[in-house]
Amino acid sequence: MESKPLALKILDIVSIIILGISTYLALVFAPTELVMGDVQRVFYFHIGTAWTALLGFILAAVFSVVYLITKDLKWDRLQVAAIEVSLVFFLITIALGSIWARPAWNTWWTWDPRLTTAAVTELIYIAYFMLRQGIDEPEKRARFGAVYALVGGLSAPITFFAIRLFRTIHPVVIGGTNPAADGGFSMTADMRVAFFFALFTFTVIFIDLFWNRIRLGDLQEKVEQLKLKVTL
Amino acid sequence: MVNKVTEIESMSVERIRPAGNFIKAVAAVVWKDLRAEFRSRELFSAMLVFSLLIILIFNFALELDIKTRQSVTAGVLWATFAFAGTLGLNRSMAIEKDRGCLDGLLLAPVDRSAIYFGKVISNLAFMLIVEIIVLPIYSVLYTVNLFQPGLLLVILLGSIGYVSVGTLLAAMSVQTRTRDILLPILLFPVVIPVLLAAVKASSGFLTGAELADILLPINLLIAYDIIFIAVAFMVFDAVVEE
Amino acid sequence: MFFQEATPDTSGYMIAGYAIAFIVMAIYVASIYLRSRNLHQDMTMLEELDKSAQPVVEARQPKKSPAKSTSNNKSAKPVTKRSRKK
Repeated sequence: MESKPLALKILDIVSIIILGISTYLALVFAPTELVMGDVQRVFYFHIGTAWTALLGFILAAVFSVVYLITKDLKWDRLQVAAIEVSLVFFLITIALGSIWARPAWNTWWTWDPRLTTAAVTELIYIAYFMLRQGIDEPEKRARFGAVYALVGGLSAPITFFAIRLFRTIHPVVIGGTNPAADGGFSMTADMRVAFFFALFTFTVIFIDLFWNRIRLGDLQEKVEQLKLKVTL
Repeated sequence: MVNKVTEIESMSVERIRPAGNFIKAVAAVVWKDLRAEFRSRELFSAMLVFSLLIILIFNFALELDIKTRQSVTAGVLWATFAFAGTLGLNRSMAIEKDRGCLDGLLLAPVDRSAIYFGKVISNLAFMLIVEIIVLPIYSVLYTVNLFQPGLLLVILLGSIGYVSVGTLLAAMSVQTRTRDILLPILLFPVVIPVLLAAVKASSGFLTGAELADILLPINLLIAYDIIFIAVAFMVFDAVVEE
Repeated sequence: MFFQEATPDTSGYMIAGYAIAFIVMAIYVASIYLRSRNLHQDMTMLEELDKSAQPVVEARQPKKSPAKSTSNNKSAKPVTKRSRKK
């Protein structure tokens, strides 16, 4: 397992290429939105990272269940990889969401369901890593991680729907530069192309990073085993 | 004092062994905790004093004039309960671990989930007792009538949700290196739907909103309680196994 | 014509957004690469240690466990190296 499998090397290159294409589509090909201007373009990457990160967290919850049933540490490594990559993607989502909010609604942060849930979810998975940090035995770490990823994975969507239903608690907008304060806009056909391509791009990039991270985890495991063997 | 408590615990464990009955086991755990707490009152007094101090802090932190009070009471109450709750959960689990009661319970031929339900009920009892005392004090301090049946129902449902997840996570955090500090970090993000719905519903009852509006968050609370009690019940085994 | 205000120039924000996205991704890729490199270095060092401890271990146990699949490839080489040394 020393050298990268060819498929992964190809995937690396493909990821970079389509990221380039997606950037072109988002920055040049798609038309400028009328009300918000160029900042709307961050929307393509914002949704791309959000959607894949969300799937990543759901995947992590599934890995939890599989690990708790099979007790095979391989699933724990898969879970750590999924959560780590999703955490990074969600960070981008939150940052882009905030950047979009500033010129659109004259505020760096809005307590709308998506952004708030993103922040809460990010905190859940940071807590996940803090939990793992505090445990030394790998088997216990895997068990506890699995339980928390499951609980967290269930609570995040509930948080989203809760905020959505009770929206009146959180004022969404503090008077913006534009009357269409909802931040909504309708997409033209060209925009749709950029949008779907961005979704596709980030899915591929996620798979690429996920695969790479899994290999890192496997390597870590081998080093640990070798350490044990040598010190015995 | 400590000897008396361990006496009680070993007696309870003795009772569990021959019976092996689920409900008896749950009751034994609850009874053990309540009796131990009744004698020492350490958890209870800490939670109560902490709650009062938080309310005091809020008084200085927020300008609670008559108008703001109405909209903010629900939030202040639930923030207080959430913080005081972590105190209770932490201590409750730490006591189990430090006195080795957990090991004793694990040896008993009883379903692990009985321990979970027992702890949830006793933690819930502590939390409810503290809440029942905080409510009249808050009412007096801020001249607002908090004794409405609707509000009490919300407090019950919210506390159940909070304690169900909290007990599970406390069982984990007490076994890590960082122990007490970790529980709020683990618990708060996950318990946000409870806080959200509880504040919304409490606020609704206090400001006399439409019943239809209030029913929605209450339904969410019930759904959350059911989902997480079920999940915690299923995974608790994985958290306490040696 | 429509009497609406001109589209605001928010390209500064757009650039900031894209910059952040690319920088964060780059940092993460770098992190994976660096961690991987460190682990490889640890691996080679541990394998050296393992090799030097090999004669003692081999004498005690006939065959290595199949679980250590990577070491299997390596175990072929040390044998020849050892025989050359000894």
